[in-house]
Amino acid sequence: MRKFLSLFIPLLFLAAISRSQNKIITGKITESKDGNLLTGATVKVKGAPQGAQSGADGSFRISVSANAKSLVFSMIGYISQEITLSNQTNFNVMLVKEEKKLEEVVVTSFGIRRNDKALGYAVGKVDPASLLQKSEPDVLKSLQGKVAGVDIRSSQGTPGAATRIQIRGNSSFFGDNQPLIVVDGVPFSNDQVSTSSQTVGGAAYSSGISSLDPNDIASMSVLKGSSAAALYGSRASNGVLIITTKSGSAAKSKKGLEISYSSSASLEQIANLPEYQNDYGTGANFLFSPASNGSWGPAFNTRDSVPNFATYRNAYPELFPASGNIKYQSFPNNVKNLFKNGSVFENSIGLNGGDDKNSVSLTASQLTQKGYVPNSSFNRANIGLGGATKLNIGLNVRGNLSYSRSVQKGGVFGNNQTDGAAALFARSLFLGRNWDTDLPYQDKAGNNLTWNGGGQFDNPDWSARNNIATSNEERMIAGMHADFNINKWIRVDYNLGNNVTSLDRREVTEISSRAAEGLGRIVLDNYRKQEIESNLLLSISPNIHKDFAVNLVAGNNINQRTTTRKIATGNKFITRGIYTLGNTSQQIFGPVVSGVPVPSFGDLYIRQRLTGVFGDLTLSYKNFAFVEVTGRNDWSSTLPKANRSYFYPSVSGSLIVTDALKMKSPIIDFAKLRAGWAKVGRDALPYSLDNVFVLGANFLGQPTASANNGANDPNLKPEFTTEIEVGTQLSFFKRRIEVDFSWYNRNSTNLIAPISIPSSSGYATFNTNYGRINNTGIEIDLTVRPIQTRNLTWSIHAAFTRNRNIVKELIEGVDRLSLRPVFNNFGPYLEAGKPFGFLRGEKVIRDSATGALLINPGTGGMIKSNELDMIGDPNPDYKLGITNSVSYKGFFLSALFDMTIGGDLNSVTVSQILSRGVSLDTKDRLSNWIIPGIYGDPSTGKAILNGGKTIPNTVAITSNDLYFSPNTNNGATFGGNTAAEWNTYDATVYRLREVTIGYEFPKSLFKKLPIGSATLSLSGRNLWFVAPNFPKYTNFDPEVNAYGATSTQGIELSAAPTTRRYGINLKVNF
Amino acid sequence: MTKLIIYAIPVIFLFTGCKKNFLDINKDPNNPTRVEVSKLLPTAQNALGNALTIGNGNLGGLSQILSVYTHQLTTREGQDQYGYTGSGFYIGTTWVSVYQGALENLEQIIKIASASGDRQYVGIAKVLKAYAYSQLVDAFGDIPFSEANRLDSSIRYPKFDDDAAIYPKLFLLLDEALADLGNTTALNLNKPGTDDVIYGGNIARWIKATNTIKLKLYTQIRKVKDVTTEVNQLLSDPSKLINATNESFLLPYGPNGATDDRNPGFGDYTATQRGNHVSPWFYEILKGYNTRHFTFDISDPRVPYYIYNQVRKATVTADPTEYRDSAFISIYFGSRGPNRDRNAQNVISLMGIYPVGGRYDEGLGGTANAASGTGAAPYRFITYADRLYLEAELIQTGIVTGNAKTKLQAAITESFKQVDYVITTYIKPAQTVPVLSGTVPVTNYISQIILQYDAASAALKMEMIITEKWISSFGSAVDQYTDYRRTGYPIIFNPNDPVMAPGGFVQPPLNGNPQIVGPQPVVLVQLQRPYPNSLPWYQAELETNSNAPGQKDLVNSMKVFWMP
Repeated sequence: MRKFLSLFIPLLFLAAISRSQNKIITGKITESKDGNLLTGATVKVKGAPQGAQSGADGSFRISVSANAKSLVFSMIGYISQEITLSNQTNFNVMLVKEEKKLEEVVVTSFGIRRNDKALGYAVGKVDPASLLQKSEPDVLKSLQGKVAGVDIRSSQGTPGAATRIQIRGNSSFFGDNQPLIVVDGVPFSNDQVSTSSQTVGGAAYSSGISSLDPNDIASMSVLKGSSAAALYGSRASNGVLIITTKSGSAAKSKKGLEISYSSSASLEQIANLPEYQNDYGTGANFLFSPASNGSWGPAFNTRDSVPNFATYRNAYPELFPASGNIKYQSFPNNVKNLFKNGSVFENSIGLNGGDDKNSVSLTASQLTQKGYVPNSSFNRANIGLGGATKLNIGLNVRGNLSYSRSVQKGGVFGNNQTDGAAALFARSLFLGRNWDTDLPYQDKAGNNLTWNGGGQFDNPDWSARNNIATSNEERMIAGMHADFNINKWIRVDYNLGNNVTSLDRREVTEISSRAAEGLGRIVLDNYRKQEIESNLLLSISPNIHKDFAVNLVAGNNINQRTTTRKIATGNKFITRGIYTLGNTSQQIFGPVVSGVPVPSFGDLYIRQRLTGVFGDLTLSYKNFAFVEVTGRNDWSSTLPKANRSYFYPSVSGSLIVTDALKMKSPIIDFAKLRAGWAKVGRDALPYSLDNVFVLGANFLGQPTASANNGANDPNLKPEFTTEIEVGTQLSFFKRRIEVDFSWYNRNSTNLIAPISIPSSSGYATFNTNYGRINNTGIEIDLTVRPIQTRNLTWSIHAAFTRNRNIVKELIEGVDRLSLRPVFNNFGPYLEAGKPFGFLRGEKVIRDSATGALLINPGTGGMIKSNELDMIGDPNPDYKLGITNSVSYKGFFLSALFDMTIGGDLNSVTVSQILSRGVSLDTKDRLSNWIIPGIYGDPSTGKAILNGGKTIPNTVAITSNDLYFSPNTNNGATFGGNTAAEWNTYDATVYRLREVTIGYEFPKSLFKKLPIGSATLSLSGRNLWFVAPNFPKYTNFDPEVNAYGATSTQGIELSAAPTTRRYGINLKVNF
Repeated sequence: MTKLIIYAIPVIFLFTGCKKNFLDINKDPNNPTRVEVSKLLPTAQNALGNALTIGNGNLGGLSQILSVYTHQLTTREGQDQYGYTGSGFYIGTTWVSVYQGALENLEQIIKIASASGDRQYVGIAKVLKAYAYSQLVDAFGDIPFSEANRLDSSIRYPKFDDDAAIYPKLFLLLDEALADLGNTTALNLNKPGTDDVIYGGNIARWIKATNTIKLKLYTQIRKVKDVTTEVNQLLSDPSKLINATNESFLLPYGPNGATDDRNPGFGDYTATQRGNHVSPWFYEILKGYNTRHFTFDISDPRVPYYIYNQVRKATVTADPTEYRDSAFISIYFGSRGPNRDRNAQNVISLMGIYPVGGRYDEGLGGTANAASGTGAAPYRFITYADRLYLEAELIQTGIVTGNAKTKLQAAITESFKQVDYVITTYIKPAQTVPVLSGTVPVTNYISQIILQYDAASAALKMEMIITEKWISSFGSAVDQYTDYRRTGYPIIFNPNDPVMAPGGFVQPPLNGNPQIVGPQPVVLVQLQRPYPNSLPWYQAELETNSNAPGQKDLVNSMKVFWMP
């Protein structure tokens, strides 16, 4: 390393040495607080071009001319210091660390840098350091609770599973409604590529962002509103996440060569398991049954032995006594034994070097994650390389190339109670209490073995080892940027980028699984998406008047997206253990959806293009009043020619009240008001104008085609989102308290989406313009710094997010739309006046007069209604994240506590835990129960009257029946087989999400080493949570979701529980 | 120079960006806007079959519901106690399969083939269209008809037509079809061949099927309209009707070969949660156990073809069962018994080789799986036997002259032949299956029934005709449901009937369960709904169609117009 350094240092000083000098000035630069030596600080002669940098030992040496008056010492993150020159030739300079500046520069649309105070809209800034080394490999998950207005939700607790990010709600009916992610100027698709339906199978698919290396992130800004994103146009109506990578920016390092190395190791565990009862085994109503799934059988202490598991006896007769009976006992740890300790290892090395004109940056990272389920893993390797150079003619050129490769392995999810489904967690969390998980999970031939036989589920151990989805994803990003100053006030920027992601997936269902008729199946999915983006910007900033500043940006944007995909399904393995199409005896082109092959999705080529021109005019007055006007016109390939061109403007402004009024208050030191209005247009999906026929699988050897069940409106128009935003930024008591507040009201109208039309029309959907969605919300970022002393600092940051996402209108004649078909009796819907994606499902009938539950006198259970109704709203009331950061000398501690208040979740896991009678919630079962209510007639759905009066229910039912409906339609109870409303819970959850404690070693320790700094930290993730509205002993964490990064929320179908991690992290800079 | 290059780069890109056809790339390269009718016909035929068969959880339709309503199957699901609602899965699959799968493609065929002068295709499409609508009317009553499948005329929300007004239009449509099929002057450059999976392009058979559909529809409305002229005219030349076993109007299914073409009803063999039980009521009639029934003491030789027992007589089941008779295991309609909901899917008896292409019961037991059978059983729309039963019914009512007894005898004889024919022609099982027709048990069975028929009252004679038709049509339940509502036959199980279920309890065969010492326990049964006059409409149709009526009252559901 030293050798390497020694090569560079002379280069750096070359310029300084080569001139003839009058005076040499030397000295040391140290940090004011801890006296650490500062490396890479700049020393310049005021008003002269020459400069120098401090070396590894903090020392500097600069030659100055005799007439030089003063020296300026500066370093990023420190307050610059000027020293008047005298005869003294040796100085010891102490630089003071800079507090977070209010006048920060933020990256806005197309990488245009703006002074924060000039913005008329909210922009969230994320310190990349706050995302790293937190025992969280997913960059989005590590954003949770840190930025107001950003709602991040996870899906499955297995490695690599998708994370959903949403800003200011859903603004389209059926899109994924996730923000546009722009990495180094090129849109970065965050698509979740779903091969199989996640309702009845499908893996914990990842979303595109999982391939991004958090270590390579140089800066991240969140453009929350339409005003901020208007220039990006079409895809920005859900906000924009702008990420600049280190390799993409190839920013000059603070010193000649900077090398950083970071390493983390974490232990990963299942966050929580239910607390189980160990008093009763399988059966029903205290009668033993070896075939039963529920633990409602006799108490363990009432029987010595029971007939053993027939499937096991047949497979392994040698393991069981000849009597055929085994001890009747509980296995308290049978669930726990299914899981193991997982791990996360992450190593990253970054190099950054160069000189005034040239710079180069390299980041290489490796992540290895093993989940708590055997065989689940996520591995990722990233390499990013970027370089920049300044040519003499005034042209700056930058280029970057990054490559990432990830491999995700894991099991299948979904609802197991559907024919042909075989979920990994079908029974894992609610095993019969007398099921021994130490028994072999397969017979001698490798066939799946379950305790109660009957093929109702796959043995979880067998499933984890055999039914595996493997996704290999590769992403290549190549970009170039050139900028040129034509003169002092005209500049041209050109950016061209190509982002290619390719996914190669293999889903295996092994022979003997419950799924695929037990014959085995393989599904291969090959997906490739390429996006090319070209941006040309002309910036004009003439000097017109001392009080007025004008800045005009005009630009052109060309975008092309191409997707290709090939899916093939092979059924009926010829032999076990070979996972190729060649090893199947039936091959079907395309995926199999609900048991039906769909060849028309087998091979797709989709391309769309968009060109746009835009302008952005900013005016400022005396640097305290700012107005920005933008306009953009797009031409899209996906719209009919006549409607292809569409224009949308925005206007925003800000006023720095404190500057305008020249306030000098000891209380308030900064106050800004801002307001903005913007309109953003959006085009259609490709190929959504013509009515087509889809080609089908052969039937009886005959080729088939069918009219596509989606009809299209050939006269689609662009859809628009209009948003008003007002906000303020305030700072009190010399920045001890800072507030950033925004309120917005966003309306998306004339949305392009399929409406469900009646089947009798011959079609299922008609794609057209209609409807309106409204999002209204507030976002508050509050920072309080109670203690700011030389040695001790304490700051508290709170991020508050509240959004109301209401569907305001659909189309005349349509009451509601199904957001996604889940089950006939339950699913997410869109309806005018109701929250987006509200849960609609079966309810039981209540007396129209009193609201009392109607009880079937014949069963003692409730009566289900034939009609579905609203049973929940998955959108939370609000979210709050509170981060406490304390530092004392080199020690630092930060803890993020967050809460999600409100929002409903329908949980299969909780339903099953209750109905199978396995948790302590259902342990007390000796008494019988009467459901409070009145008698009703199941055929009329009306209360039964006796002399005009209702009759209170007196039919007692057993505990078993209370949690497992004895009669689905006419005797619904709670837990299992009941109306969906009873399995829908308020998903409020409080959580200690992230804790980091660490120590930054004093630099004095490394005097003789080439180490610049070293930090060691311990981190913990998801250390504690409580979801108070779920049954107590289920210990259920509602931060799971069946549909990954899609807009379907609030539905959990036997999900893998969340994880908890403990990590140790080291970061060294050379 | 360098400056020039810098300026040139963006200009080049702008130039390419403004290329004339740069944005004209929105023509779908993946899906055609035109196809040949020969590709649409098998889709429509398959969809029509799928709309009517017993289901497998993904495919299938009306028979999955109606086989329970006609007491040939029992389930624990919504069908039990006639509780199937409009949001039930199979109402949805039926509705979607008929309107989107069958009718929309048939309308496309009519449109495309009319333009090209391919009248044979037009004729076939019209027959199938008329038949599809007739099945919907029979099951649901009022349905969208005149405005259905007219999105090209911008009709997004078709109105519901009065069922009584639809039938006359179906007769007109069938007559149009006959004219198209018999059109000798048409160009017919494209003729149906193997793409016609029903008749392989045999136009003569299509004409026979069309006339037989007319005969069936006229018979169905005989109680509300005098159809004497029409049926006598149709019957005047039997050769113009389905007149042989191999002329039956049915949709073939195939094995799980290059593609999976199995009858959805086979799904219980591969299911992960088997839900269909063979009804004990049906079983006891077949076995001759039902003392109130004319088959008492006559065992039906079709039992091992109709029912497959997964266990043997001696098999000890892990859990107690509700209804067991030797190897036959099932649950009752309307059961409230403690053993109804047990995990018994690997011991219950399943539909056998004949209705769904499952297994012929050799008495050896064995858990059903994909290899138990081929699943290649056809869905029978109207068989030759059905035509003979229709004739017997018409003679029995006096609308047509003739000998009802010989017709019934011919019909039952044909019913047995049909089993053999379907097994050898379509199902092609791997196991050896004995021939039924002409065997001693079969001739005995027929002669005993005919002996009883001779002695029976007029009402019982009608009951015998319809009941034998009901037994014969196991697996195709739509017409069974229609026959029951218009004739009152067969007699079905009623848990509220004090004779059938004294005190609300039914008694399985006393010593039917070899594991139990002493009699099998009685089972509590209940029925809390009246018999549905028609099925509820598809809930999603009502919710998406602004011209749809409100959902039917399940209790006093709408009568179909032909009901007396």
